[in-house]
Amino acid sequence: MVVFSRNPVHAVLWLILAFLSAAGLFVIQGAEFIAMLLIIVYVGAVAVLFLFVVMMLDVDFATLKAGMARYIPLGLLIGVVFLLILGLEFTEWSSSAIAPEQRQAIQPSEVQNTVALGNVIYTEYVFLFQIAGLILLVAMIGAIVLTHRKREGVKKQDIVAQIYRDSDSAVTLEDVPSGKGLS
Amino acid sequence: MFPGDLTTILPELVLASYGLAALIWAVFSKTPRTGTALIWLTSFFLVGLSLWIGLATTGTKEAFGGAFVDDGFSRFAKVVIVLSSAVVLLLSQDYLERERILKFEFPVLVVFAVLGMMIMVSAHGLMVLYMGIELQSLSLYVLAAFHRNYSKSTEAGLKYFVLGALSSGLLLYGASLTYGFSGTTLMSGISEAIANDDTSVGLLFGLAFLIVGLAFKVSAAPFHMWAPDVYEGAPTPVTLFLATAPKVAAMVLFARLLREAFGPIASDWQVIIGGIAFVSMFLGSIAAIGQVDIKRLMAYSSIAHMGYALMGIAAGTEQGFQAMLLYMVIYTVMNVGTFAFILSMRKGGRPVSDIYSLGLYSRQSPVKAFSLLLLLFSLAGIVPLVGFFAKLYVFLAVIDVGMYWLALGGAIASVIGAYYYLRLVYFMYFGEAGEDLDDTMPRISMITLVISGALVIVGVANLFGIIDITQAATGMLFN
Amino acid sequence: MIGLEHYLIVAAVLFVTGVFGIFLNRKNVIIILISIELILLAVNINLVSFSVYLQDLVGQVFAMFVLTVAAAEAAIGLAILVCFFRNRKSISVDDVSILRG
Repeated sequence: MVVFSRNPVHAVLWLILAFLSAAGLFVIQGAEFIAMLLIIVYVGAVAVLFLFVVMMLDVDFATLKAGMARYIPLGLLIGVVFLLILGLEFTEWSSSAIAPEQRQAIQPSEVQNTVALGNVIYTEYVFLFQIAGLILLVAMIGAIVLTHRKREGVKKQDIVAQIYRDSDSAVTLEDVPSGKGLS
Repeated sequence: MFPGDLTTILPELVLASYGLAALIWAVFSKTPRTGTALIWLTSFFLVGLSLWIGLATTGTKEAFGGAFVDDGFSRFAKVVIVLSSAVVLLLSQDYLERERILKFEFPVLVVFAVLGMMIMVSAHGLMVLYMGIELQSLSLYVLAAFHRNYSKSTEAGLKYFVLGALSSGLLLYGASLTYGFSGTTLMSGISEAIANDDTSVGLLFGLAFLIVGLAFKVSAAPFHMWAPDVYEGAPTPVTLFLATAPKVAAMVLFARLLREAFGPIASDWQVIIGGIAFVSMFLGSIAAIGQVDIKRLMAYSSIAHMGYALMGIAAGTEQGFQAMLLYMVIYTVMNVGTFAFILSMRKGGRPVSDIYSLGLYSRQSPVKAFSLLLLLFSLAGIVPLVGFFAKLYVFLAVIDVGMYWLALGGAIASVIGAYYYLRLVYFMYFGEAGEDLDDTMPRISMITLVISGALVIVGVANLFGIIDITQAATGMLFN
Repeated sequence: MIGLEHYLIVAAVLFVTGVFGIFLNRKNVIIILISIELILLAVNINLVSFSVYLQDLVGQVFAMFVLTVAAAEAAIGLAILVCFFRNRKSISVDDVSILRG
């Protein structure tokens, strides 16, 4: 549905449905924190961002669909083959025999999922956490560089200038000759 | 454990702090020349950093439970990456100023991209690897679209973004399958898991997706389609940056991942990589023939060169990896030199990149034309120049492991490839004279062009210095 | 009983849908971005399923970082898209072919 809808707003709504279902799956599996994160970050922020952009950019989407029919047979073929292969593979998943010994952060049984994740993130994975921070910073810089425009003629308050203004620069004393006024 | 980790990542920490400080300073400074000042400052800082990395530390250190490693292999790559980025910054300053897109964000984004690459080459676990790649590529997406009022540049950024994000997705899918198989994201753990029992279909799928994702990043052949468009559309300094440092980083990462995580099933990936290398070489060489835009031409040329470098990885031996490192260094020098020229190609104040505009350039300024000639000959791999030796070592490495078909294909492809480099030279020396190019090459580009031209000759004599260093660097990976 | 394989198959279906969506809608960049989000969601399902299956937290930590990066990526992608739209008044990638491809 996500990829077939004619109207991108509908596509985004279908995407949100997919996210919500995935969040449900995570809850069933016992990964509550990721589930909540998915709802808050994705449905709350990313999907809204998408909707915002879709509506902001007023695009004629019907014309964009014109060439789509050409790709359908080829795409379907690739998709089916791909799916078959992946399906065949996953009918029996086998992990390595020593996988359980190699675990780096074994799930503790006594605390909740969120607590356990919190314990790990700020200790063992603090390096990754910091890089994630930098990535978000780069995204911020990028978005600002690409879309921010200086507008001319906007009147802004310049507080420093206001404070440093004194009687010398603000007031001039004029000697007004009588009968003539100031020109 | 923690203080030791911090000393291991000290160069990265210093660079990150520099980036943040530079950003804050630039935002609050009021002078209009901030961009220029920051470019100079940043490139000197990067030169200092590369000297420090190259000279100060020795030995192999691991940090964060083995997810990050600082060894000779990664240090060598870091020095190349940081130094080439510094030169790129210096070269780009003039172009950016003329195009009026010299904003202070440019050097800051370059700093963060370099940081991402340093993390990539040091990554010893799939998570660190992914985060490094993303930090680097997010910065590069923005840089490619940096000329935001120019539709070609934004289109290049968009294409680069879409295909880059797709490739990250494939890479991640592979990473998740690998994690599911081995129970860990550390490369050492993955190789132990593989060595312990037979490979499963799931793991092979993981490997295949990882290879496809990384092949996108180095623009190797079946996954190259973004490269020509992005190279042509992006602002030329960014094209130069894309063609050098990220390629080195991705290549080194590729080598380390295949060797350290998938070493036990080398015979499986050697054939895949060999195939990719083969296709890249031919496609790069043949598709370049019809190009009239020099930036597109350089894109195809870089696809072909990535093919040769991948040959070294396909060999899978110490000798092969060493040849790959050597190849990447020489490739970087040649590309920086050639782009120093392309950056200053202008007519009537506008940048041009049409190869016919080179007509009879040798009459106009013989020194520059001769330097460019040397660089192009070296890129083509003509005998007495370093480009030839780079190819020679790669060929020797694959012959050594008995992959004769690959060496033969490489030789044929390089003969085909020589044609379009020679065509450029032909235009310069015997082409039809058109309107002359502007004679406004900034001094720094001139110096870089002549120096790199000289390096490709003189390099033949002192090439052996680099060989020893690369040998020491790869030796650490193999012990 | 729902086992690991069922989750993996859901993920595989989502993944294929995402890849398929990219090839199908080569012109409409917004749909392409959405498809990329689908691929990343598939990856996350994979990671969390393995994490639960192995009783290991690393997969969930990885999934969290993937989420973070995906958000950053969406922001950058949309920023570039907005920029592109301003220059061209359209978001189709194919009609532009100043750059062939």
